[in-house]
Amino acid sequence: MVQSVKRKQGWHLLQCLGKVFSWRASLSWVLEGLGGEANLKPENVEIHIIDDNFFLKWNSSSESVRNVTFSADYQILGTDNWKKLPGCQNTTSTNCNFSSVELKNVFEKIELRIRAEEGNNTSIWYEVEPFVPFLEAQIGPPDVHLEAEDKAIILSISPPGTEDSIMWATDRLNFRYSVVIWKNSSSLEERTETVFPEDKIYKLSPEITYCLKVKAELPLQSRVGYYSPVYCINTTERHNVPSPENIQINADNQVFVLKWDYPYENTTFRAQWLRAFFKKIPGKHSGKWKQILNCENVTTTRCVFPRNAFPSGIYYVRVQASNGNGTSFWSEEKKFYIEMKTVIFPPVISLKSITDDSLHVSVGASEESENTSVNQLYPLIYEVIFWENTSNAERKVLEKRTEFTFLDLKPLTVYCVKARALIENDRRNKSSSFSDTVCEKTKPGDTSKTWLKAGICTALFSIPVVIYVVRLFLRCVNYVFFPSSKPPSSVDEYFSDQPLKNLLLSTSEEQTERCFIIENASIITEIEETNEIDEVHKKYNSQTSQDSGNYSNEDENSGSKISEEFLQQDSV
Amino acid sequence: MTYRCLLQMVLLLCFSTTALSMNYSLLRFQQRRSVVVCQKLLRQLPSTPQHCLEVRMDFQVPEEMKQAQQFRKEDAVLVIYEMLQQIFSILTRDFSSTGWSETIIEDLLVELQGQMDHLEPIQKEIMQKKNFTMGDMTVLHLKKYYFNLGQYLKSMEYNSCAWTVVRVQMLMNFSFLKSLTGYLHD
Repeated sequence: MVQSVKRKQGWHLLQCLGKVFSWRASLSWVLEGLGGEANLKPENVEIHIIDDNFFLKWNSSSESVRNVTFSADYQILGTDNWKKLPGCQNTTSTNCNFSSVELKNVFEKIELRIRAEEGNNTSIWYEVEPFVPFLEAQIGPPDVHLEAEDKAIILSISPPGTEDSIMWATDRLNFRYSVVIWKNSSSLEERTETVFPEDKIYKLSPEITYCLKVKAELPLQSRVGYYSPVYCINTTERHNVPSPENIQINADNQVFVLKWDYPYENTTFRAQWLRAFFKKIPGKHSGKWKQILNCENVTTTRCVFPRNAFPSGIYYVRVQASNGNGTSFWSEEKKFYIEMKTVIFPPVISLKSITDDSLHVSVGASEESENTSVNQLYPLIYEVIFWENTSNAERKVLEKRTEFTFLDLKPLTVYCVKARALIENDRRNKSSSFSDTVCEKTKPGDTSKTWLKAGICTALFSIPVVIYVVRLFLRCVNYVFFPSSKPPSSVDEYFSDQPLKNLLLSTSEEQTERCFIIENASIITEIEETNEIDEVHKKYNSQTSQDSGNYSNEDENSGSKISEEFLQQDSV
Repeated sequence: MTYRCLLQMVLLLCFSTTALSMNYSLLRFQQRRSVVVCQKLLRQLPSTPQHCLEVRMDFQVPEEMKQAQQFRKEDAVLVIYEMLQQIFSILTRDFSSTGWSETIIEDLLVELQGQMDHLEPIQKEIMQKKNFTMGDMTVLHLKKYYFNLGQYLKSMEYNSCAWTVVRVQMLMNFSFLKSLTGYLHD
């Protein structure tokens, strides 16, 4: 059963193959009829670019060796202008070098096509996937020149490609070089370093053969090149004048202090500086090193030079020693940063007590910083140190705001604050010096309640006082501007006995006052008598007048009253 | 007492976290300052002769530079770095025919290199995250443009006319750089 199935399958397979072959035969016959040899088509076409060298490689589909040539065209993607690819015209081999193509630039996409030819027959075009030469290119080996010292090797590396290279024209200065170095005697000992085009490899031993190889990289494009061939060189014998070591540079107020180590006395030194960007430029910069003026022919292992001799930037410094025996090689180059422009002035703090448990802090810029407008250049953040005056426990807070409050404090306590400004997120942790310390006392406790009570009491107390004062004032006003028409009380008393009418009407009558002159008793009686007589007369008069008729009036009545009084008095 | 400490601790934590996330604001400040300094330095260079500017050159200025475009901050960093690199590269060439002050050119180079130094760690970080394969078309367009500038200088044998034209181009580049710094936000 199985065998029969297998036989059937085999038969089907043979049938299929037969059909295919016959199809192929017929196709080739058809094409032959058309005049083309389809099986001459190039296959697996590949492009290899190393620096400015362009290679095209392919396989020929033809098995037998025939008189077949290949030709290629190229064009810039988008245009419709196929041009002949130089170096790849009518070639019998399966590769060609078209480096002589004059591309306007290597950053545009290029299309390639290639076909096979035999006599008058041409195959169809094989079109290569469009590509950007710059992205396809591989980094070739750099050119290396070596020079030996006793403990170092000087490298002079030229970038890959020629100086007129089109491929690396935009990246010549961006290459970084990776060096692998080992002692020729033992291939195990290897050291890898990344160097600039003009650089040195230090910490080597004298009189030893070192071998190295270099490759170029474009680290920011993650591209690595091919290694150069291996170069070997012998380091020289130990120099009788050693080089200074352990160079250090410290900033101190307005000066820089350059220090180094040297084992021997009686030596003069000189120091040189170089702006760091020269390191990126290939080519010798020996002429670009400049002498540090205060560090020429110094006999101590330190020298001091002013800060403003160097505008801000990045520098390299090297030191050389010389004595009677000769001059040493240059020391290791030390890189150092000068950031003169970022002088941060200390802030100005003001402290205010608002309530009994909080203090308000105001951070301001000092006058000097206003002029330099550092705040506009860098975002500042403030490191605030805060403590109770009596205790030493300090609290450190980082604040970005310039107005903030410390809460939960004790009332009637003195707190002190000082702050310094920092550049936000600065790797170098650059900061200003601390501001002056400012202290302030918090307000007394429950001040609000006290004020409330005091206020209420004051209000209560003040109301009657106010009323009294107002009344007094009004009275004064009334007295001055609106005098009352009431006569004084003494006058008033007198005039209550005699009404006003009598005064007016009795002008004809004599008004007599009652006067008492006390001398002695006898006289009194006499006077009284005379008065009495008068009164009697008056009485009679009044009576008669009364009797006479309507002549009586109040005056008479009063007079009668008076006389009655007298009579009464006499009787007493 | 503990509550008070707690409050201060919380405040400190808050500010430290915000400080860490604001990585780009320092960069923006530095960039802006640097661009302003560079523009000032460039303007100090004499712009003569004027007739050189009359010739219209097509350096194939990238479209991104001509028209305002939105950039993500990572792309902005890459573009800025590329431009700084290329301007640096051009200024290292032979300008002796112009009579320009070497000090000014050196100051420009120092400024450019300083800024590249600041950008490098962020650049590396971005490249590592993106697993960047240089597929970014903007950078390619920029390379083409700067290549054209370089070739032009070379073809004119670095004469002062060519440098005058290039100087104008660089002023335009710095204006674009200034606008790019606006994208360096958080």
